[in-house]
Amino acid sequence: MLIRILQDIALMGGIGVILALILVLAQRWLSNYGEVTININGKRDLTVTGGETLLTSLGDKQIFIPSACGGRGTCGACKCQILDGGGPILPTEKPLLTKQEMGDNVRLACQVKVKSDIKIQIPDEIFNIRRFHSVIEEILDYTYDIKGVTFKLSEGQTIDFKAGQYVQLETKPYGKVKQKVMRAYSISSKPEIKDRIQLIVRLVPEGICTTWVHNQLKVGDEVDFTGPYGDFYLRDTDADIIFVAGGSGSAPIKSMLEHLREVGTKRKMTYFFGARTVKDLYLEEEMRDFEEYFDDFEYVPVLSHADETDNWQGKTGFVMPYFKEAIRDPKNTEAYLCGSPGMIAAVTKSLINDYGIAEEKIYYDSFG
Amino acid sequence: MKATPTDKKITARMQPGVITYSGFLGKDTRNFKQIIADDEMVLEKLGKSAEEIADRLEYFQQKSFDAFQGSTVVDEIYDVNTEVVRGYLPCPFMHQGVYRKSYTTVTNTKSGKSFTYSALNIHLIRVHHFFEGKKSHFRLEPRELVAELF
Repeated sequence: MLIRILQDIALMGGIGVILALILVLAQRWLSNYGEVTININGKRDLTVTGGETLLTSLGDKQIFIPSACGGRGTCGACKCQILDGGGPILPTEKPLLTKQEMGDNVRLACQVKVKSDIKIQIPDEIFNIRRFHSVIEEILDYTYDIKGVTFKLSEGQTIDFKAGQYVQLETKPYGKVKQKVMRAYSISSKPEIKDRIQLIVRLVPEGICTTWVHNQLKVGDEVDFTGPYGDFYLRDTDADIIFVAGGSGSAPIKSMLEHLREVGTKRKMTYFFGARTVKDLYLEEEMRDFEEYFDDFEYVPVLSHADETDNWQGKTGFVMPYFKEAIRDPKNTEAYLCGSPGMIAAVTKSLINDYGIAEEKIYYDSFG
Repeated sequence: MKATPTDKKITARMQPGVITYSGFLGKDTRNFKQIIADDEMVLEKLGKSAEEIADRLEYFQQKSFDAFQGSTVVDEIYDVNTEVVRGYLPCPFMHQGVYRKSYTTVTNTKSGKSFTYSALNIHLIRVHHFFEGKKSHFRLEPRELVAELF
């Protein structure tokens, strides 16, 4: 009887092992897509191992599609057009795509699995995006909640970017944070400096990356980032310029002004910086230096909540009413805006409706 | 009550460092379902629904948006200000879509009591009846909201 029981146990165990082996082999066979080809813009073929997401597959080949959520399908930043392949649009993608985008088969690269050959269309600028390794060289306290952080690139690395573009910083696990996240920050240094960049980072309540930057990073720490990204950059024309920024939105404007100082300009420029109180103002000295240097540059800080104790003698309220003094020819004026969507919307509306600036001459980087 | 696999996923997303730095549960020892159930009981006693509270919070937020996210006075006694920063937050309940990182502060100038909430908070309250755990950074007490904002 005992022998019979042992025999049955052995038999069942054996069957179990065989079934497990079959499962493992089947899984390997079924999920082995072999090598597949990603054709980019009809020009370039990449051979990758099938089964990974498009975002990962491209990243492995040093092609970095913007992504703020690390491929979790929540930010919608990694959109690209699929010309052929990729399967149907997934339910996880639909909330982040417009009808127009779905019609054009725009997909989230982080959700598309590359299981067979695929053809995609991405902007050519993306080929300029690289991963950089850096060491923190300097951390400046600009205000109580804004820091300027300088990243020195590893030996031999250089970055080419246009004033106004941004990079994506990659955090490292720290404290309660177990996963890395990627967050976008505009470059605040000039593009002529190619071996280091400066970012201006404002502390966000409960922000994983900004808390890391403000409370964890110190000089000498190693940090990775990718970039440059974005189509917000200074246009090379002779038009007058109105810059408008708020909060950490000063970063790309600072980069543009430093670039213009480097290359020289005779353009009439006015920079309106919106802040709540005096303690939210920063880069004041740098802006006064620009006023000294340029032939026709004016820095106009405007406070929305000037405190009586601030003894503020400058402009107050919204920035829009003060544009009148800065616009001499609406047809020959460009505007560069960086800040919250509400500020961008209000300023854009005013520039178009109240001052006659052409919509196509208003360039902006709206947070978000 | 046994946690379903979905409950476990939601709980994991509410932990510190996943979506926000400190997470959504704070120092609360209850699970999120119990937190919701307890707050729903409070609301029932107060005679207000989660949807009504979400509508009220959204009302203040919209007034602030109408003022270009600057400060504005609403209904004569509420000082409202919204700060918007770069980026979006996903819903920990795995609802599709993302919510702008906007932080609205409403101050009842009569009592001096202030509340700060994000666009995600409004969604969490309206759809999930979730006011976050005790001592969570963005925990909103239903009793206080009803007393101060209506």
